[in-house]
Amino acid sequence: MEKLKVGGLKQSLELCQFDLRGPDSSEEIASGVSKLLVSQKINMEFITYYPNKNSYHQLTFCINQDRLSTASEILKKEGSLPMGWEIKSRRHVGIITIFPHQSAIKILGAIMVSWAAQSIPIYGIATSLSAISFLTDYQLIDKAIEVIQDLFQLPEDHAPIKPEIRYYQSTEVKKGKGD
Amino acid sequence: METIAVYWESRIKTYGFQRITDLSFIEFSYPLSEIKSLGEILSQDDLQTLRPKFLIAQESDHKITFIFCLPVKEGKDFHASLEKTPRPTPHRYIYPVSIIFFYGPHFGDRYGIADATFSTLLKADIRIIASGCSSASVFLVLDQDDIDKAEDVLSETFEVAK
Repeated sequence: MEKLKVGGLKQSLELCQFDLRGPDSSEEIASGVSKLLVSQKINMEFITYYPNKNSYHQLTFCINQDRLSTASEILKKEGSLPMGWEIKSRRHVGIITIFPHQSAIKILGAIMVSWAAQSIPIYGIATSLSAISFLTDYQLIDKAIEVIQDLFQLPEDHAPIKPEIRYYQSTEVKKGKGD
Repeated sequence: METIAVYWESRIKTYGFQRITDLSFIEFSYPLSEIKSLGEILSQDDLQTLRPKFLIAQESDHKITFIFCLPVKEGKDFHASLEKTPRPTPHRYIYPVSIIFFYGPHFGDRYGIADATFSTLLKADIRIIASGCSSASVFLVLDQDDIDKAEDVLSETFEVAK
C-alpha cells in the first residue's frame, strides 16, 4: 500500500511534563502558572489547557528536563495554586511533531493504532497551523520515530529529525534599539 | 562551537493574528487501554474528509480526552459518527466557537509568550474555552462573541511585525 506523504518530522529535546488539575476557581490557573514560570525564566514548550473538563480544569505543559526541580518547587509552594489543585509530573518525555499537509485525522488514527501495538504511550496531543505534535516517553522516542517512518513517506531531502541547536535565553536584558 | 545571537524586543513580535469563526467544539474521552480501537475509528474512510482547525488531547485517570474544533458541517457529521461508535463516548458539543491563533519568532524556544497571552485575556475578562501551544504557535478557543475583543487586547500586548 502506498504510504501517506507527510511534509516533515522532528523531535524535541528531553522534557518533563506537568499535569495540574483542580476544581473551578476564581483564580485563572493558566495565567497564574505561566507567571510563576516566567519568574524563574522557564519556557513552556508545549501547553494544552482545558478549563472545563467535566467538573475540573486541566493544564498540561512541558518544560526542559533540567528545570523540573525548580518548577516543582515553585508550584508546590503554599499558595502557588488554588485550593484543591493537584500537581503530577512525569520525567523524560519528548515531543514528536509531524507536518501533515492537512491529513491530521489520518495521521492521528494511524499513529494511535501503530503506537498502541508497540506499547508506545501518548501523553498529549496539540495541533498548530500545519503540524500535529505528540507527547510520548523520551526513552521510546527512537522507536516511535521508526514506526512513523514505516507508516509515512518523508521528503527525500528531509532535514535532521533530532534537534541540532539548543536555544538558551539569557537572563541579561540588553537595552538599545527598540526600547 | 557556540554561537551567541542577541535578540531584543520591547514588545513581543508576532506575524499577526488569524481567526477562524463558526466552529463546532467537540469533546470526548476514551479509555487509554482502548486507544487502539479509537485509532481504528479515526482511520475510517468516512472521517478522512474532516479538517480539524484545532485539536488537543489530555491524559488523566487512565483516559484520554480529545477536543476538536471543526467547521459546522464536519462537526455535525463527526458528532453523529461518535454516537454510532460501538463504545459509548460521552461528549460535549458547543456551537459556535472561534479560534484566534498567532505565532512569532522563536515562540516555543523562549519564556514569556504564554504569560503575556493568558494575562492579557484575564485582564480583559475573556474566558478561554481551550488552548494549545506547540510548534511556535498559540491557539485559543474562545466564545464567538469574544473574538473581536481578544484580537484588540492581544494586539496591544504583542507587536504585529510589518
